Amino acid sequence: MEKTNNAAKSVSWKNVLKKNYTILVIVLMVIIFTILQPNFLSAMNLVNLLSDSAPLMLMAAGMTPILILGSIDLSLGSMCSMANVLILSLMKQFNTSIENPFGCFFLALLITLAVGAVAGTVLGLIHVKLKVPSFIASLAFMSVWDSAALLITSFPVKLPKALKASAAWYKISIGPIGLPLILALAVIVIYHFVMTRTAFGRGIFAIGGNERCARIAGIKVDKYKVIVFAMNGFCAALAAMFLMVKATSSAPTVGESFTLMCISAVVAGGTSLVGGAGSLLKSIMGVFIIIIIKNGMNMVGVNVYWQKVVYGIIILLAVAISVDRTSRSRIVK
Amino acid sequence: MEKKLLFSANNITKSFYGTQALKGVDLEVHEGEVVGLVGENGAGKSTLLKIIIGVQPQTSGEMTMHGKPFMPEDPMAANKAGVGMVFQEQSLIVNLSVGQNIFFGHEKDFKHLGFVNWSKVYEESKRVLEEVNCGYINPRTKVIDLNFATRQMVEIAKVVNMTKSGHDNQKCLILLDEPTSVLNEAEVQNLFTEIRKLTAKGHGVVFVSHHLDEVLEISDRIYVYKDGENAGNMDIKDATEEKLYAAMVGRETTTEYYHLAQQRKPDEEIVLETKDMGLSGVFKHCNIKLHKGEILGICGVVGSGKEEICSVVCGDLKPTSGELHVKGRRVNYSSPSQALQDGILMIPMERHAEGIVRSMTVAENIALSNAPLLSERGIVRKKKIDDQANAWIQKLRIKTTGKDAEMMSLSGGNQQKVVFARALASEADIIILNHPTRGVDVGAKEEIYALTREVVAQGKSVILLGDTMDECIGMSNRVIVMKDGLITGEFQADAGEKPSQVSIVTLMM
Repeated sequence: MEKTNNAAKSVSWKNVLKKNYTILVIVLMVIIFTILQPNFLSAMNLVNLLSDSAPLMLMAAGMTPILILGSIDLSLGSMCSMANVLILSLMKQFNTSIENPFGCFFLALLITLAVGAVAGTVLGLIHVKLKVPSFIASLAFMSVWDSAALLITSFPVKLPKALKASAAWYKISIGPIGLPLILALAVIVIYHFVMTRTAFGRGIFAIGGNERCARIAGIKVDKYKVIVFAMNGFCAALAAMFLMVKATSSAPTVGESFTLMCISAVVAGGTSLVGGAGSLLKSIMGVFIIIIIKNGMNMVGVNVYWQKVVYGIIILLAVAISVDRTSRSRIVK
Repeated sequence: MEKKLLFSANNITKSFYGTQALKGVDLEVHEGEVVGLVGENGAGKSTLLKIIIGVQPQTSGEMTMHGKPFMPEDPMAANKAGVGMVFQEQSLIVNLSVGQNIFFGHEKDFKHLGFVNWSKVYEESKRVLEEVNCGYINPRTKVIDLNFATRQMVEIAKVVNMTKSGHDNQKCLILLDEPTSVLNEAEVQNLFTEIRKLTAKGHGVVFVSHHLDEVLEISDRIYVYKDGENAGNMDIKDATEEKLYAAMVGRETTTEYYHLAQQRKPDEEIVLETKDMGLSGVFKHCNIKLHKGEILGICGVVGSGKEEICSVVCGDLKPTSGELHVKGRRVNYSSPSQALQDGILMIPMERHAEGIVRSMTVAENIALSNAPLLSERGIVRKKKIDDQANAWIQKLRIKTTGKDAEMMSLSGGNQQKVVFARALASEADIIILNHPTRGVDVGAKEEIYALTREVVAQGKSVILLGDTMDECIGMSNRVIVMKDGLITGEFQADAGEKPSQVSIVTLMM
């Protein structure tokens, strides 16, 4: 948000630091990891790291506006798992009648994205119409999608040889930046534009800032909220496709760790859990912070199980710093 | 018989963000006396009570209790000094027993080896209840199983006990803020009996109520507050309802203040009409006609249903019966955004809770209701938002460092002007002003009145819930009076012939 005109007049290093802390954190982490493991800065690892960030980037694109609303979606990872197994099993189905691997892929993708958007819409409608807090509603859906994923295929499935061609695009890259990351960034930038430059986007910020006021002022609160949840489902499904193509296989538990990672990334980027403030562009930096932590800890050889501890601490730290303790309002609606 | 002075407050003032809620009020309570406190909404009754109980400090002025200076930092300190308050909203925890409630927070006095000795709690509770002559209440009963009158007595017993804190013969001051609002006739009488028993023991009671008949019945002396000032102090022998009304409404409507010269006659055209509209449990049989270019005032006390009528008209609530017609078409709004499409917008009462988005700038707050109007092909032009903000800041003389200032850096009056600017920019032509001058200083009030006159001069229509009755009568072309969810009267209020406040108050209470 462009609220800087006043602050700009009294530029102090403190303000500069506050506004650019994500870059500082990234630089700091790169230095630390490089000292611990010089291979961290190797070209191969950097390419790896960048391409690794694409699915999380997409999930953050969907989640950021939800947090700006002051809501949350805990079902994101499970939704992702479900979409992940769905797209592959659909492709296999279609392959029996459609020869072309790309035809199978696009048809399955279309259906999966639709399922994602509808799933998000249903969650949004339950939240808005039945007035169930999103925290609770999405917690319930988390268990629904977890089961749905296992019901579709209860074990990892490999992408059949006949369909492999449809996954080849994931390896395309322009310089060190892969096509998947470019696509994910494009989604974020477009969504960012929608959030900052349309009546819809401004409405989302208003709802997150003061929902009652937004409603009385004549903003279509319910409709906007449902759209944001639908978009989140769509982004989750898209991310699920990326995960499938990247691994050329599906797994019913693939999304498990992503809910926490995604929320940590968005919050680390500077979007407040209280709602009303935040930015998709900031979430890009947040995603890089999380991915660097993940990749760096792997490189250094930290036990994978410690990673979730770190994500948890990031969320707590970010919330503890940003939350307004004087207000009696709930953090998550 | 000269009674001993129990409590006194001298020249208490209180200002919030530059507006004066109390401009120097006095209150004296003698031992064994019931003092009634009456006044319109916003007269300062609740503010004074909150100061006495220590919820908020006064800006200036002194209080004494038992002849000693009294300056409670919090309600606990007030309790220790012998002052207790029964709040308007009942504060008992309903799923606990009576005894647990009475000693809530003081369980450590009953601890033995880390366990609470509950039978001792109940024994003590029994004694406490007997002291206020409520020995018939079983301290083991859960509060949820008691009726409201009994709960009120439990609350009083609890307060009396807390205020004594060990000194058995200490006389206390009990503040009762609208204690009868939840009670029926018989329960009220019950409560009065108990209050008399309390005063017979020498305790002092301050009784606040909107029901003047009750105040006249129970009080020994009555204070009238108006606009944060003392407007009268009558002995019960001299007090009548008429005298109290007259003191409550006080000052005459001033011609200039409300820009009466600009009051124009509304058109014949009806822009909004309710037909036998009702909202179950709140109001019913509501028939209102709003003409083009008219200011329609609705008077009534809190709970009369006037707020909810506005909520229904602006689409925030759905009526449960009857019809709403806007511009000749029957409508059925399910949200304010639909009402806005028909040109209806409300300026809400609770500015902080409903009027402004704190996390947004002045310019963004002004543009809340009309973002689609500022868009080209779906894209909002920042320049248009800024231009609009600059224009309104200038036009309404909003004091701010600029369009990008944070909302919270503005004073209450200027925040309210921002909300006004939003309504005017939205191109809505039926504007509901719900207490538009609440918490706004006198200068800004006058500007808001001038602005309202200008709005109707443009052919827009206004429904006004005045912050004071004076304002409601002064500004309106027509005034509707509501009581307990029913319209009890309607007055023409042409510039030269404003109805008297007394005639309206009589229908309100």
